[in-house]
Amino acid sequence: MVKIMYLSALCVVLFTLQAFALEPAEKQLFEKNSFYQYISVVEDTAKKERYVRNQKREFAQGGIYLNAPEKLLFEFTQMGFVSLAFLDRDPKDVLFVGLGAGAMPRYFTGRYPDAVIDIAEIDPDMVAVAQKYFYFRENERMKVHIDDGRLFVKRTKKKYDWIVLDAYQNDYIPFHLTTLEFLKEVRSRLKDDGVIVSNITSTFRNRFFDSMVMTYKKAFAHFYIFKGRKSGNYIFVATAGSSLKDKDVVEARARKIQSVRKFDIDLEDFASRYESPEAYEWGGAKVLTDDFAPVNLYQYQKSGAK
Amino acid sequence: MIRFVVFICGAIVMSFEILGSRVLAPNFGSSVFVWGSLISVFLAGLSAGYYLGGVFADRNPSSAKLGIMLIIPGILFLSFPLYSVPISDWIFMRDLGVRLSPLLASVALFLLPAIFLGIVSPYTAKLMICSHQTSGKTIGTLYALSTFGSIIGTLLTSFYLITVAGVTALIMAQGVILLASAIPLFFMRLHCSVANGEAVLQGKLPEGG
Repeated sequence: MVKIMYLSALCVVLFTLQAFALEPAEKQLFEKNSFYQYISVVEDTAKKERYVRNQKREFAQGGIYLNAPEKLLFEFTQMGFVSLAFLDRDPKDVLFVGLGAGAMPRYFTGRYPDAVIDIAEIDPDMVAVAQKYFYFRENERMKVHIDDGRLFVKRTKKKYDWIVLDAYQNDYIPFHLTTLEFLKEVRSRLKDDGVIVSNITSTFRNRFFDSMVMTYKKAFAHFYIFKGRKSGNYIFVATAGSSLKDKDVVEARARKIQSVRKFDIDLEDFASRYESPEAYEWGGAKVLTDDFAPVNLYQYQKSGAK
Repeated sequence: MIRFVVFICGAIVMSFEILGSRVLAPNFGSSVFVWGSLISVFLAGLSAGYYLGGVFADRNPSSAKLGIMLIIPGILFLSFPLYSVPISDWIFMRDLGVRLSPLLASVALFLLPAIFLGIVSPYTAKLMICSHQTSGKTIGTLYALSTFGSIIGTLLTSFYLITVAGVTALIMAQGVILLASAIPLFFMRLHCSVANGEAVLQGKLPEGG
């Protein structure tokens, strides 16, 4: 009798857990524990969207509209393109560190078909998922290299016009992709006036954000911050050149790219969020180095800035 | 004192292992291959150390000799920044693949200290058994202390130390701790000698360790 009660109690508990795992309208298409992470592809049948997640109850790492897979679903992927307005010319050689669902490279190559794109992604299973569920295709101008982002950057001899850093997950940030040494290695792979853009998630302003501001400040002569409105994402744009880019120059350039390259996102609106990093600096924050980088802890500590 | 040494060595082994992952990441990433290499090399070092420690323990063991066993890894830790970067860079340049590179780096950087820290366990067991009739309880206590030290070392390092100091500073601090714990061992004059097939204690073990 007692056994049956235990069993039924267990059933109730398991059933409830199951219910918590997915939103009511969500159905799971794929699930795998790869060498590097948990990957789950989920479809929201009500919103008609498809996501890839690294934790069951976490924010999505990437996603698409099922009815319009060529559009960019998430604000942070859209906002990242504002960094193109910091280039004086069209980007020819481009590097993405981290593939995700492949939305950004796919969108980019659609607008800049002549650009040569390298993508460093550590996880072959993630590439397979991007191909199978998110319409990502490699071609002779767009190649995925299965490698740790930092190791790829250290090894490559190539120099790039535009480097996109998007290898942080919400719950796990690889510390070796946050440090001053890493940023210097990335900077050394930029052409003279090249640009890097990085997506820093900080749902509440945390110490990791504080430290990233100080680390970018140390690694680059100039960088700029763009704040997400729909999400806790900040876009950091840093330039290899020594000259400061004025806001109106960036806005004008964004307007031009928008019309010439037929962006269906509002680049000019993103450009108008241009902020100089001084407003975000907090002197108490420590620069992250290979020697000292407690990023996982800093993510959970509130920002020291007022 | 002997018990304290066992605890400290247990703590340092695991603390060093956690820090090792940080040392490897810039050149080899932090993939499951890196963790696999790291953990297996530490275990290899410990098992070799346990064996060697047992062999040494049968050859006129003394607290002074134990002190030397602590001084060697202590010096390795203190000089760690001198060789860790050149060795890591050299292996990175060779590019032996995602599995072999971190494995080789782990062997080069961590195997030797792990061996010496492994030697401590059987060696101290022998020293303690010389002075106590109850060898079972003595060995059990040492195992427990060593593993308890490992738990403390793991938690303290990953939860706290890594947020207050740099990896290099922490490794060097471990070197200082090892050297400091070796010093009293030279004044203890604790040693066993084998006479008529029986271990006889010479010198006195301080009460309460």
